[in-house]
Amino acid sequence: MNTLNCKIIEILSLTDIRLIQLSRDNTLSLSLREMKTLQNYFQKLQRNPTDVELETIAQTWSEHCKHKTLTGHIEYIQEQGNHRTKTKYDNILKETIFKATAELAKPWCLSVFKDNAGIIEFDEQNAVAFKVETHNHPSALEPYGGSATGIGGVIRDILGVGLGAKPLANTDVFCFGNPNAEQEDIPSDIHHPKRIMKGVVSGVRDYGNRMGIPTVNGALYFDDGYTANPLVYCGTMGIIEKNKIEKRVEPGDLVLLVGGKTGRDGIHGATFSSIRLNKESDVRAVQIGNPIVEKKVLDALLKARDLNLYRALTDCGAGGLSSSVGELGEKTGVKVQLEKVPLKYEGLSPWEIWISEAQERMVLAVPAKNKNKILEIFKQEEVEAVFIGEFTNDKRLTLYYNEDMVADIDMEFLHDGIPKPLRLARHKIIHEIRQKPVKMSEEKIAKSLKAVLSDLNVCSKEWVIRQYDHEVQGQTVVKPLQGSSIEISGPGDAAVINPFTIVEGTKKGIVLSCGMNPQYGKISPYKMAASAIEEALRNAVCVGADIKKIALLDNFCWGNTSRPEILGSLIRAAFACYDMSKAFGAPFISGKDSLHNEYSMDGARYSIPAALLISAIGVIEDISKTITMPFKEKGNKVILLGLTRNELGGSVFSKINKVKEGMIPDVYPQESLLIMEQIHSAISKNIIQSCHDLSEGGLAVAASEMAFSSNLGVKINIDAVQCKERILPAEILFSESNGRFLVEVKPQDFAEFTNIFKKTIYSEIGAVESENIIFESPKHNLSIQYSSKELYEEWTRPLKNL
Amino acid sequence: MYKIEIKTRQQFKNSNAESILEEIKGLSITGINKTNYSPLYFIDADLTADEAKTIASQLLADQITQEWTIIKEKPVPPDKKQAAEPKMASQPFSIEVFYKKGVTDTAAESVIKAVKDLGITKEMKVKTGHKYYFWGDVSLEVLGTIAKKILSNNIIQEYKIN
Repeated sequence: MNTLNCKIIEILSLTDIRLIQLSRDNTLSLSLREMKTLQNYFQKLQRNPTDVELETIAQTWSEHCKHKTLTGHIEYIQEQGNHRTKTKYDNILKETIFKATAELAKPWCLSVFKDNAGIIEFDEQNAVAFKVETHNHPSALEPYGGSATGIGGVIRDILGVGLGAKPLANTDVFCFGNPNAEQEDIPSDIHHPKRIMKGVVSGVRDYGNRMGIPTVNGALYFDDGYTANPLVYCGTMGIIEKNKIEKRVEPGDLVLLVGGKTGRDGIHGATFSSIRLNKESDVRAVQIGNPIVEKKVLDALLKARDLNLYRALTDCGAGGLSSSVGELGEKTGVKVQLEKVPLKYEGLSPWEIWISEAQERMVLAVPAKNKNKILEIFKQEEVEAVFIGEFTNDKRLTLYYNEDMVADIDMEFLHDGIPKPLRLARHKIIHEIRQKPVKMSEEKIAKSLKAVLSDLNVCSKEWVIRQYDHEVQGQTVVKPLQGSSIEISGPGDAAVINPFTIVEGTKKGIVLSCGMNPQYGKISPYKMAASAIEEALRNAVCVGADIKKIALLDNFCWGNTSRPEILGSLIRAAFACYDMSKAFGAPFISGKDSLHNEYSMDGARYSIPAALLISAIGVIEDISKTITMPFKEKGNKVILLGLTRNELGGSVFSKINKVKEGMIPDVYPQESLLIMEQIHSAISKNIIQSCHDLSEGGLAVAASEMAFSSNLGVKINIDAVQCKERILPAEILFSESNGRFLVEVKPQDFAEFTNIFKKTIYSEIGAVESENIIFESPKHNLSIQYSSKELYEEWTRPLKNL
Repeated sequence: MYKIEIKTRQQFKNSNAESILEEIKGLSITGINKTNYSPLYFIDADLTADEAKTIASQLLADQITQEWTIIKEKPVPPDKKQAAEPKMASQPFSIEVFYKKGVTDTAAESVIKAVKDLGITKEMKVKTGHKYYFWGDVSLEVLGTIAKKILSNNIIQEYKIN
């Protein structure tokens, strides 16, 4: 091997200690066992690796690319009281999330867990793809650039799924520290949560808006545990013709690199994501996005796709060309000329070119006969496109820089040679205890209602939502903000897109929603995951989705999983995913994990509160059969569907009132699945005027939101709420029991309503009023009353003037 | 090298400047009573004065709400350098923020393309920056805090206080 353009790295003679040092010094993030496997491979070849080879293997074997923790061996010990079980898993994802999808075997799931995004059927000709990614570490260092490249990256996932889908909508979910924290309480070497929040929101805004893709759904979650390590989840949904879902590469196809130029941006992003954030985090891991370039790439790609000019494509994400070209050539082999890659500036060494995570780049496999035609298309759209190599049939990765061979690795070793790690996991199921009965005076309940409405995790997120264009493309039929006038914007449960510009004349819609609640996970990761799944499903059902046609995406953001108790909690959550997916008949189609969300400072370690984001996507047959959450008319009946339990554990109310103990809300699919089916049937028959799910803040918040969003009022009789157990008024109002919906029904439709819901537990608890929000309990001699306007102001105040 | 500064005309709202002032208040810093903000463009090319004016007026500035200044920067011989004059109360402090070398400057890339579209096809390098003005009674140390906590991110940017 010629050494002119690369360095030969001595590893054959290294001791274990030196191997570890080499991995650390070069940010390879490889374990000793992995380094030894590598050493072994090159020993057989009787030579040392080049820097390009070492970096390529480190990228391909990174946690980010291979998900080795969750696909590796895990020894899991679970304790519950005196009972202790020990189980071994060889691939926890296969044994939980993938397994549920395989067992459900829904014919409308067209591509699951194999491509850049999950794909489900839309209609006879078309399908929809959905992917959610995280970009946490870069956003902690440079909030604007980090979040912008997060959304840019997930848009490219959709562009790179199958032969390329057209992006129709974005979603975003963020977890931050307290934006109102005092500056002196924030360590000097991290950004203030308010600055992170503003930067992240504007990064997603600027990228999404400039790409001409509406941002239609999302969530914001605040917890001090995210101060140093914010979470930034970005999602994109797109549409693709069914006959364009499969990709293949044939020997002799050319490797075409399109889009942005390559620089030192984001070098080591993939391996960096496995490292705890600390003061010395590598500055090169920051990327800067350019949405204008990506928009041009999008336009040119879809044009080339429709002319069938290429056979496969993928995006350059983590690991850069190393991952994307490596993936496409996995089954064939590939030869690349690195000097042909267009550079932003001179001076990059071959390994930097190969692993750079410069943005807005895609790689295509082009049959040689289409060579000139495809270049012409990219030229017309002013997108740089350069052939950099060729797919071979030798099953090897060979890289050249001019005449010099700088890498020559066996594809099988590169992709399957990684030794499976063994990780230990432990979880102790916490015995939950019901809180002492919450006896509260009328005055205190009234005060709590205001405090809960203005809690950061309940209050209006209008400040964020209004920065995003949620209307561009003109297909958003159910919008993120819903209210009776321009001055009033209530919180929509889910968004619906009618893709009529792509599928002419279609009446169908695509519903997007999400669910998460890290607070529950601090006590019960199982219930947190189950609740997040049900919340995402409930939100979709509220606007009119059919529970029989909803698919799920999982995004695990966890702390450092090399700590057994942290990995243990993830396993519990993964089992909840299996159980709930099966129970609700909702398959998982795609997912992503971001582990090692831990920050070390002054010797102390801060792990984030585990956060499982569940995103849901469904197809709605007829968009005219969708509804929104604000009340519609005074005099209509207000009905609570589902059973209320004494579940105040992890609730917003308990946090505010410092209530100790309490049961974390559980999920009862046998009850709620039926309710979801019946709601769909009732919405289809126009029996329900408005529908809202009960989550954070419970009944009190849901009823208030439906009232003030419509500029109307509501009167609720707390005594009429059907409960599972003996429970006091404050507990009824603020319990966060899952499986509940608040619906509005016209008096004349009530007979038909009772007919549809005859097998369900429901409580007729009140009526829509003109301007006041009233909760009363004659039994306990309580009456809480506010004007709708007053509560709306309380709800909108916290994030109004950031 | 041309340094082009785009200023908002006095009668128009400068929302960037207003939000900076709010954020300064959020850091509990007192003594600053007015702020202003201008984007900066450094164009390294063999341009004529007329070409620089065309770029400033036709491309970088909105002629209704903004005005521009163009400074042709030349290396100043050491003996001609003037000692910094003491600032009068009415004179503002300013902080300029730039990307560090090697950081992708996407706005600059767009400027290069747009200048070509204007018909000026000379080779050029462009760098963008931000200039913030502060009026009031404030120490250099406090200005440093403002620069670090609000105006720049030291991972990708550097700043200069004048």
